[in-house]
Amino acid sequence: MNKKFIVGIIVFGSLWGFTECIIGSLLRDVNLPAGAIMTGVFAIGLMTLSRTTFRQPGMQTGIGLVAGALRFFNPFGGCFICSAIAIMAEGLLFDLIWTGFSLDQKSSQSLIMQTSLGITAAYLVYIGGYIITQILTPVFSSAGFYLENLLVFIPQILASGLLAALLGAGIVPAVVALKRIPLTLQDRLYYPVTIGISVFCWVFVILNTISIIWL
Amino acid sequence: MGKDHLLPILALSVLLIASSSSLYVYATQTTTEILLINGQEYTIDQLFSLAQPRTSNDSQYTGIALDDLMRKTGVSNPEQHTYTIKGTDGYEKTVTWENMKNGLLTYDRESFFSDLPKAFRVKEIITIEVN
Repeated sequence: MNKKFIVGIIVFGSLWGFTECIIGSLLRDVNLPAGAIMTGVFAIGLMTLSRTTFRQPGMQTGIGLVAGALRFFNPFGGCFICSAIAIMAEGLLFDLIWTGFSLDQKSSQSLIMQTSLGITAAYLVYIGGYIITQILTPVFSSAGFYLENLLVFIPQILASGLLAALLGAGIVPAVVALKRIPLTLQDRLYYPVTIGISVFCWVFVILNTISIIWL
Repeated sequence: MGKDHLLPILALSVLLIASSSSLYVYATQTTTEILLINGQEYTIDQLFSLAQPRTSNDSQYTGIALDDLMRKTGVSNPEQHTYTIKGTDGYEKTVTWENMKNGLLTYDRESFFSDLPKAFRVKEIITIEVN
């Protein structure tokens, strides 16, 4: 595993964690469907961008681990441990879908494939994360987990993924189109820029947490 | 069939499942002003005249104490039961007696527990089942 790949995992994971902690909170404050938007736009967008750039299996699992770790530094919004674990699982799910369909082997994909991938990945990642949160939140609480509570709510979970799927249908082709713009980061700038972005994300989230606790 | 064909079929299946689930949820959603507590029907005003008031620690939520409500609605040996709180959208959560002692029911028919995460806030409650 080369150094560039590791730094790639850190920067994309930091960006995802930053959006979950900061933009996710803002969306919830204005009563928008934060979960579906976060998964359908930011999670799928960042994971597609990273995967089409590096084309290496396992990368999104790593990105999910970094993003989930950053969520630990933003201990708000109910069971934050559950959210952190759900983010990690979302990364793993995306990785499995992409690897399962052998998408790294193709240099270009048709618009139908891109849209299909967006729908499938966004939906499965969203409902996967949702179900994991529904299981883990009671497990980590004093009430305990009851399977029947989850089973009766399955239709609502399946329905709630529709928005994420539709957003994913647009975001994957958008990311692929964005990649056609000839923008390359010079080698001498790669590490300062990526490490700088990662540090900014972590410092911003931690300072935001401190300011909420103190003020 | 190659994987190239499988992905669009999977995407269509996903859209079909999500759309039919949305229709099912919409069709089965109930709206009622009556709450079924321990098998008996009440209005929210009746419940508020029955049980003691309670305010959350941060004073953000006010309502009636869920443990007192269970006693007043005739639950015997309340500590030996668990309680399933159900909302109009099908969302439900099961809690213990210890949780009920820290819980309240708001006038908007929402549950709040000071010892449990946000996921236990069931909205538009229609039933509290004693198990």
